[in-house]
Formats: sequence, C-alpha cells, structure tokens
Amino acid sequence: MLGWLVALIALGLWAGVPAFASRSVVDMLVFAGLYTIAGLGVSFLLGQCGIVSLAQSVFYGIGAYSTAFCATHLGWPAPAGFAAGMALSGGVALAVGWPVLRLSGYFLALATLALAIIGHVLFTEWDWLTGGTLGIGGIPPLALFGVRLDSPQRFYYLVWPVAALLLCLHRNLLHSRTGFAMRAMRDAPAAAAVLGVNIHALKVKVFVLSALLGALAGSLFAHYVSFVSVDSFGVDRAIGFLLLAVLGGARTIAGTVLGALFITVMPHALSGFGDIHAVLFALFLILAVIFLPEGFGGALAGRLARRRAARPPAAG
Amino acid sequence: MNVGDILEVRGVSRSFSGLRVLNGVSFAVEQGSITGLIGPNGAGKSTLFNIVSGFLEADAGAVVYAGMQISRLSVQRRSRLGLVRSFQTPQVFAHLSVRENLMAGCYKHTRSGMLANLLGTPGSRTELARMQREAQSACERFGLTEVSERPAGKLPAGQQRLVELARACIGRPRLLCLDEPSSGLNSEEVAQLMQSLQRLNREGMSILLVSHDMELVTVASVVHVLCFGEIIASGPLERIKAHPRVREAYLGT
Repeated sequence: MLGWLVALIALGLWAGVPAFASRSVVDMLVFAGLYTIAGLGVSFLLGQCGIVSLAQSVFYGIGAYSTAFCATHLGWPAPAGFAAGMALSGGVALAVGWPVLRLSGYFLALATLALAIIGHVLFTEWDWLTGGTLGIGGIPPLALFGVRLDSPQRFYYLVWPVAALLLCLHRNLLHSRTGFAMRAMRDAPAAAAVLGVNIHALKVKVFVLSALLGALAGSLFAHYVSFVSVDSFGVDRAIGFLLLAVLGGARTIAGTVLGALFITVMPHALSGFGDIHAVLFALFLILAVIFLPEGFGGALAGRLARRRAARPPAAG
Repeated sequence: MNVGDILEVRGVSRSFSGLRVLNGVSFAVEQGSITGLIGPNGAGKSTLFNIVSGFLEADAGAVVYAGMQISRLSVQRRSRLGLVRSFQTPQVFAHLSVRENLMAGCYKHTRSGMLANLLGTPGSRTELARMQREAQSACERFGLTEVSERPAGKLPAGQQRLVELARACIGRPRLLCLDEPSSGLNSEEVAQLMQSLQRLNREGMSILLVSHDMELVTVASVVHVLCFGEIIASGPLERIKAHPRVREAYLGT
C-alpha cells in the first residue's frame, strides 16, 4: 500500500515538473531522459554481461544522422527515420560485434574505444552524408496526436514515458531465461557455456540490443534539438554513457536513471562555481567511485535489502 | 565402442609447446556406471577432462559420446546432448542467489527467445514459473532450501560444490563429469557428496569422476589410472590398488 502511495506521489511530481520548473531545468531533464535510453544499453552490457562498451556514441550518432538525413534530404516521415537509424545501427553492431566480441576485458574496451574514434572521424569526413562540421539543421520536431513536440515541456512528456517503457522491458529481460544466461555469463563464462549458453552469440545479441537503444535515443535527440553535428557524438559522449552506467550502478535498472540524472544535473548545478566547476565535478566522481563502488543504484538496492533482512518475520 | 558405453575416448593425444601431456589415451565409461579417473598431480587428468567436455581440442584421437563423434562440437552443443561437467574450483554464479543459479541451470531446457523475454510474453512467463519450480525442487533434493536466497558466492566451498552439482543435474544429463569434486571439502561433506553421487547413479545417471581422492573413488565401479599422459591400469578399485605400476606412481614403491 505504502509502495503504491509513494509511486503515485512520484508520478504526480514527475507530471508536475514542467509546470513549475524553468525551461532550462526541463531541457536538462529531457537530456537526462535521452541519456537514460542510450545509457540503458551500456548499463545492460556492463552490469549484466560484463562487457565494457565505449561505442555507444557511434550508435547514438547513427540514429541521429539517419533521422536527420531521412527527414531533411529524403523527406521521409519520422517513424521511417527512426526505423532507418535503428536498422543501420543494428546492422553495424552485428557486423562489428561479431568479430570484436570474441575479445574480452581491456582488449574489448579498447576495441570499442577504437570504434568510437573511427565513428567520430567518419561522421566528420563523410560530409556529403552528415554535413561534416556544419552538421544538418532543419530537422522537424516530432508530432504526437497532432501536438508538435517543439518545446522541452512537451518533449519531456514523450521522452520519459519511452524511457520508462524501455526500463520495464529490460526488467522483463533480466528476469527471464535470457537474463539468467546473461548474468551467468558475466559471473562464470565457462560454467555458463556448460549450461548450454552460446556465449558469443548472446554477447552479440545484447550488443545489438544496446546499439538499438543508442540509435533510438539519437533519433529522439535529433528531433528534439532539430540540428545535429559531430560535436554531439565524440569520444567524450561515449565516456559519458559509460560514466552514467558506472555511477548509476550498472547492476540495477533504476541505477541508469540515477546515473543519467547525475551526469546532466551535476555539471549544471556546479556551473555556478565558475571555472572550477570541472574540477569539482571530477572530485564528485572520485568520491562517488570510492564511497559508492556499486553506484547509486547499487547502494540503494543494498540499503533496501538490509532493511528487508532486518525486518522481523511476520507472526504466524 | 561397446553398445553399453556412453563415452569412449579413443587414442587421444595432446601437447602443449612440444610437451606431450596425453599420449594416445583410450578408455570408456559404461552407461549407468560411476567411472573413476585417477592419477597423481600432473598426470594429465584435467587436460583429458577438458578435451572430453570440449574446452580443449585433442591433437589426435576422438571422443565418442552415445555413439556420436563429438570431438569437434562446442561445449554448449555437448551440454545440449546431455554431457555436462563441473570444475575443479567451484564455478557458481557468485552474484546470483542459489535459487537463481539453479534457474540458470534450466537454460538449455527452455526455448523462449530474447524478444519474447523482452516483451514478457505469456509463454516467457510460464517458462519462468517452470524454471522457478524446477529450481525449488532441486533445492529440496540437494538440501539447499535454507540457503536458497543467499548469494552463491557467499557460501562456504562445500555448499558451492553442492550448488554446482545441483545446477548440473537439472534436466538430468546423461553423463555427469566431475572434476575433483571433493577438493576443499571436509570428511563429512565428502561423505554427503558420495551419497549424492550414488543416488544420482541409482536414478540412471552415468558419472565420470576425476579425482586424486582415493576415498571418493570408492563409489566408482571401474577406475582408470592416468600417469604421465597414459592409462596404466583399469579395473575395480581393489584390483587397481594392488597394481604394481599404480603403487609405483602413487607410493613410489
């Protein structure tokens, strides 16, 4: 009963934010929603499969550029742009992931970093497709039931329900045969293989799923900001997605949301301190990693578990 | 291969950097038996075990399982055919609870795909409920009910062994290969393990036991002795113990 009440209050607060928060705060929350979607893929790879991926910025970029190109050059409707971005991202993830995911540990992390760098170079050099450093502008805003989502206040009501839906779907996945296989693979790959899990195929599947999430977030981003350029898809973005997963706590699904809020809200909150804000942010990161090694979500889950364990058993 | 054999290893050889670890090893595991494979440290037991289970390829020779050449099959294909193994160091899924470890053991007996799992289709949910039932039943059979919600990685070594055994037995494999299953166990836990193995064997499971623990191999009806990459003796344990080459290998007499 209490849980439902808390959920209802949280829902009310969420729904009310655009009414009382400033435009810049709502804009920040929209970005947190976008990063939740893209970061969920990285988080799932890291926390449930033990795969460190720095390539999410490439899939985020592919989604954004596909949407931008389809909408502005080809005049396709938005759903077609989304589908093109996700298909292309999924295809690239499959083609790259199949050989690369035979690596593991640091080697795999470095290979995905190389992919992020190559992607960024290609986004810059293929200016016939991406507009190079000039980017692509004039991407029309999304419209839903006749309402143009052309402001942060309106887009907020699209991005967060989409993020919530995806979090729910990933929760389903986690508590299923595939989810158990993923976590088994993370903890003891040899033993997982003995259980009949095709380790390589499973890694590739999850990598493709993660790429689809990156592309979806990229497409939403393109429609939201109406302009895309290479600056948004560099290695720093890839590191940002990984940071989100680590800080949020990659083993918990809710951690992704907390991580996304942290990496969007914290730099903004610290900007009031002037030039030193980047140093302060780095300090926060170090403290978070030292004191919350399992991330915000992990710390929260641990606290809840301890409270449950301490609760006296029900009589009878 | 005799009709009654579940596994036959034929002339298997394997070298590492020019050092021959296995030299034309041949032996068989009879269907429904507990077969022991013993040998002193460095005899090549683990290498042979890895070749049987698919973690290593032999340089020469063949592994035949249930009449089928499986030398080129992957670990997971062998597992799906009913050949499963345990590890010398228990390989539990440390961050999963005991119950979840056993649910993961149902993987090869379930079919739903990633999309169905993502969408949480009714079929996927029914399957999950079945996995839960099977895990619960395995917990009861192996005496793990009390620790079923504890993370497997936090259990003592003996219980981790039991979790690994229970997980391997879900779905009733035809051939259970155990690598040094008594390592790290106290005498009471070894006795419990022996009882579990005998019970599984009575239920029809063939077991290949790799060990250097002479007490544990008393459960085996046939024992093969591996020494410096060659089988030097085969037969019932009592006869093996009296074999001069075995005495020489173990006792140096």
